[in-house]
Amino acid sequence: MPSLSFLVTEIANALSQAALLFFLGVGLTLIFGIMRIVNFAHGAFYMLGAFIGYSVASLTGNFWLALAVAPIGVGIAGALFELGILRRLYRRDESAFLMVTFGLALAMTDLIRIGWGPEALQVKTPAAFSGIVMLMGEPFPTYRLFLIGAGVLVALAIWQFLERTRLGLLIRATSQNAEMVYALGIDVNLVRSAVFGIGCGLAGIGGVLAAPLLTASIGMAADMIIDAFVIVIIGGMGSFAGSLLGALLVAFVQVFGEYYLPNLALAFMYLLMLLVLVVRPGGLLGKEA
Amino acid sequence: MNGNSMLTRRRAIALGAMGTALAATWRPRLAVAAEPIKIGAPLALTGPLGSVGQQLKRGCELWVKVQNAKGGLLGRPIKLLVEDTGGNPADAVRKAQEMVERDGCNIFTGITLSSEALAVVPKLDEWNAIFISSDNGDGRLTAASFVPNFFRANVSAPMGARAVALYLRTAPYKKFYAIGMDYAWGRNSVAVFKSEMENAKKDFVGSVFSPIGTKDFSTYITKIRQSGADACYVTMAGDDYNAFLSQAAHYELPKKVQLLSEVVDLTVPKAVGDAAIGLISSMRYCFRTDNPKNKAFVATWKKEYNAEPDNNEGEQWQALQVLAAGAEKAKSTETKALRAALATVQLDDINGHVAIRECDHQIVQDGTVVRLVKAEGFSYPVPQIIATFPGEKTVPACKQMTYSD
Repeated sequence: MPSLSFLVTEIANALSQAALLFFLGVGLTLIFGIMRIVNFAHGAFYMLGAFIGYSVASLTGNFWLALAVAPIGVGIAGALFELGILRRLYRRDESAFLMVTFGLALAMTDLIRIGWGPEALQVKTPAAFSGIVMLMGEPFPTYRLFLIGAGVLVALAIWQFLERTRLGLLIRATSQNAEMVYALGIDVNLVRSAVFGIGCGLAGIGGVLAAPLLTASIGMAADMIIDAFVIVIIGGMGSFAGSLLGALLVAFVQVFGEYYLPNLALAFMYLLMLLVLVVRPGGLLGKEA
Repeated sequence: MNGNSMLTRRRAIALGAMGTALAATWRPRLAVAAEPIKIGAPLALTGPLGSVGQQLKRGCELWVKVQNAKGGLLGRPIKLLVEDTGGNPADAVRKAQEMVERDGCNIFTGITLSSEALAVVPKLDEWNAIFISSDNGDGRLTAASFVPNFFRANVSAPMGARAVALYLRTAPYKKFYAIGMDYAWGRNSVAVFKSEMENAKKDFVGSVFSPIGTKDFSTYITKIRQSGADACYVTMAGDDYNAFLSQAAHYELPKKVQLLSEVVDLTVPKAVGDAAIGLISSMRYCFRTDNPKNKAFVATWKKEYNAEPDNNEGEQWQALQVLAAGAEKAKSTETKALRAALATVQLDDINGHVAIRECDHQIVQDGTVVRLVKAEGFSYPVPQIIATFPGEKTVPACKQMTYSD
């Protein structure tokens, strides 16, 4: 019988993992919702966030500055990519986006390797969150508590942004009917650039926050993009609440699956995705379901 | 006219024949003086173990540079041929074959992954080429998959596990758990460790394997804590190792459980910093090994790269020193002569006295166990040698990969 302290620790583990997955999934789903494109370079933007975060943190010794600067840098990079390249492709079919974003992922990976070198780099845990707290007698890192808090905070912020601000309104409107928004005299292209930048910036936050757990490394992009896709497919393409639900489900299934059936650790996430696709092909909170 | 022209033609033919004869006598001599010795290095410069391939490349490049400055090998210059395999066994075979056919290369080193090496060795006889391994750990290469043209000039995975096991015979830990990356090397290394612990009548309480590319180790860390073990053997490399150590430190796991591992590169403490402090591991090469040859090597290395030579960098250097000793002994780099000389070659080098064993071409070299500690003058935790075991004790019986005692 699992003890209460074990359950509490594992739930906390799962929530902290869900927070990191959410930063990735929500950006991907926002971009898909409004642009109907799958951004294969999302993992590379996440990795760029980790490396910029490393540089800022090691130059200034301040993790919080890194957490502020890196997402902005990544967001600008994303918006520029949309402006410079993606914008020319909206009339083409979807395979063009697939090719271009996949190519961008490869190019960014090599540029990062050239810029920062091939070896993994350390991002230190911020001093304020470097200890442990005891949860029912079991140690739990305060940094992971902070991750849970950050996840909740960002989720609330995005929700309020989408519901309460003019840009949020435009984003929701564009995702439903872009032509109508355009007809009403709104520069839809600007909305698209903004969403692409915001989505990449969120991936950048995820990269900086993940770096103390993983180090900043060249491999992190390829690993993470698959998880992000699974989350978005489970939650429903384009659904903000769906990405939150997907991140939570994936994290809980992973954590408890790894514990009870470690030999099937890789399979759980995909089994969950299969199940969702069979029952609700559009995702749990997707529109087409 | 006719006769004259005949004469001219004859004379021309004679002259031509003389010229050809002269050229024939001259050319080989010129070739002996100038034709470089080619060393082929099909390296995994990209892919999950790209950082290892990069280390091997640095090791090769500096050795060739230093050796050429000394006049080359057997009076001939050395030419290094480098290709990227991406860590893919099929590409490793293809690139090596190209070097054989296009460049006439008959000496290989630096093939990075054991899976690549296992794919290359069956071709060596057909290519009439020698392969001197500098980092392949898989025990099978000097056991079931052994071929006469293969030489292992580095510590194998069973030898690393064995050194840690020998150290543990007198260490105060009683209950052991193990975590490994879920593929051939991880499973093989954990199996050797488990059998060693059982031979030593220690309590081995369980093991778990994490998929390659695991990012969140919280559940595995919970499992290790719950096992009640006071030491945990870790067989990981690359990003997975860095993530595991960073997160274990977050949970303060090392305060309760001593972490042990088969091999650790300096890239790990450089990437995770203080999270690596206290780790006990075997190392194939440690830059702090105390002998004059190693001191000279470390100085040369630091001058070139402004950093301490890493695990694989030292082993790559040693592999090429073995090659040089074999070539000098054979006075040739022709495959047959070189193979015969390498099979019994001995030298005093950066790892002290080392010798290739004739029966399975495995190098016999002291086993080194280190603890990672903070030390003055270094920005990252560095290995401190806490035990060494003579090669005869760490090397398995001929063409074996486990130990009986």
